[in-house]
Amino acid sequence: MAIKPEDILKAIAGARGNAICVPTMTTSPAWRTLAPDDLSVGCSGFMGGASSLGLGLALAMPERRVVVFDGDGSLLMQLGSLATIAGAAPRNLTHLLFKNGVYHTSGSQDIPGGLTVDFVQMAKGAGYRKAYAVTDFDDFKRRLPSLFTDEGPLLVELHTGLADKTPMTDRGGQPFNQQVEGLRQKLHKG
Amino acid sequence: MPESIPAPLIIDTLKDTFREARGASAREPLGWILSVPDTHQKTVLAALDKERALRVVTCATEDEATAIGAGLWIGGEPVVLMIQHAGLYASVNTLRGVAMDGKVPMFYMIGLLQRERDRDPKESRHSMVRFAEPLLDTFGVPHARLEGPNDVHLIPEYYRLSRERRGPAAVLVGLETS
Repeated sequence: MAIKPEDILKAIAGARGNAICVPTMTTSPAWRTLAPDDLSVGCSGFMGGASSLGLGLALAMPERRVVVFDGDGSLLMQLGSLATIAGAAPRNLTHLLFKNGVYHTSGSQDIPGGLTVDFVQMAKGAGYRKAYAVTDFDDFKRRLPSLFTDEGPLLVELHTGLADKTPMTDRGGQPFNQQVEGLRQKLHKG
Repeated sequence: MPESIPAPLIIDTLKDTFREARGASAREPLGWILSVPDTHQKTVLAALDKERALRVVTCATEDEATAIGAGLWIGGEPVVLMIQHAGLYASVNTLRGVAMDGKVPMFYMIGLLQRERDRDPKESRHSMVRFAEPLLDTFGVPHARLEGPNDVHLIPEYYRLSRERRGPAAVLVGLETS
């Protein structure tokens, strides 16, 4: 049975410590309810950019863990970012890929290749230090602490069902520029 | 007539720009160059490979470069993007979504590959040269031409402008760097 994305996000919210999180698309509505703080910046308005935004944060703040909540359709839009991330090799970047095989936000059209696309192999081929798939929630819970300690770049392909909400069914949240400003102020306070 | 700008002059200017951006906290690496390889600025990119004071990240696309630049800026790091006009066209949505709507300072050095020495870019035979400035104008992105060594002062000026405006600004590298 596919993992509920909300269960994953809830577990991360409880374990993240001071990690910066970068949600995108269908992870955004649940995340802003689970973690209504200013240590996150959602990738909205430039689909596919979450992994790159996370890379920039990870390079700027090597002492902090950065966790990207990517989607399979989103990553396909900037697939080259796998190689760019591997080339830059940030040890503090965890790239979580919520794989459901569809563009859920725009009406659940199949992504190219559907569920057969193997992002673990792609990440390994690009040069990530580690990449693996997780297909059940118990396994995810076992691995959860290592998501914040394993040397990155690390990609975890999470086999999930559809989220309860999408950015289209649950609009709201701060505009991107306010999230940017909020995170910047939080990081540079004091 | 435009003149080629030597790579060392551009690199020294970038270092000074980053030192000014960091102010009293200046340290190495002074700043970040996010590049998508550009024939026009290849001598600069080659020289950057040997630079220890600047960190270079080679990106697969200009979309990536812009989003990475946003992350670095949020984290407090000074950044310059070096791309080609074709990459500007390819990454317009990210320019809009990140730099404009996100109010993220983003300074671009854009190579005008195939720009003719004896012709104004707006009258170029090549559409990728001809449309660069009108595209930037359409999006309200302030820009200036680097037409020779005497224009390198525009690099820190437009870098500062991107910070002051909280958005994109660009300089267009007229001839291939030397």
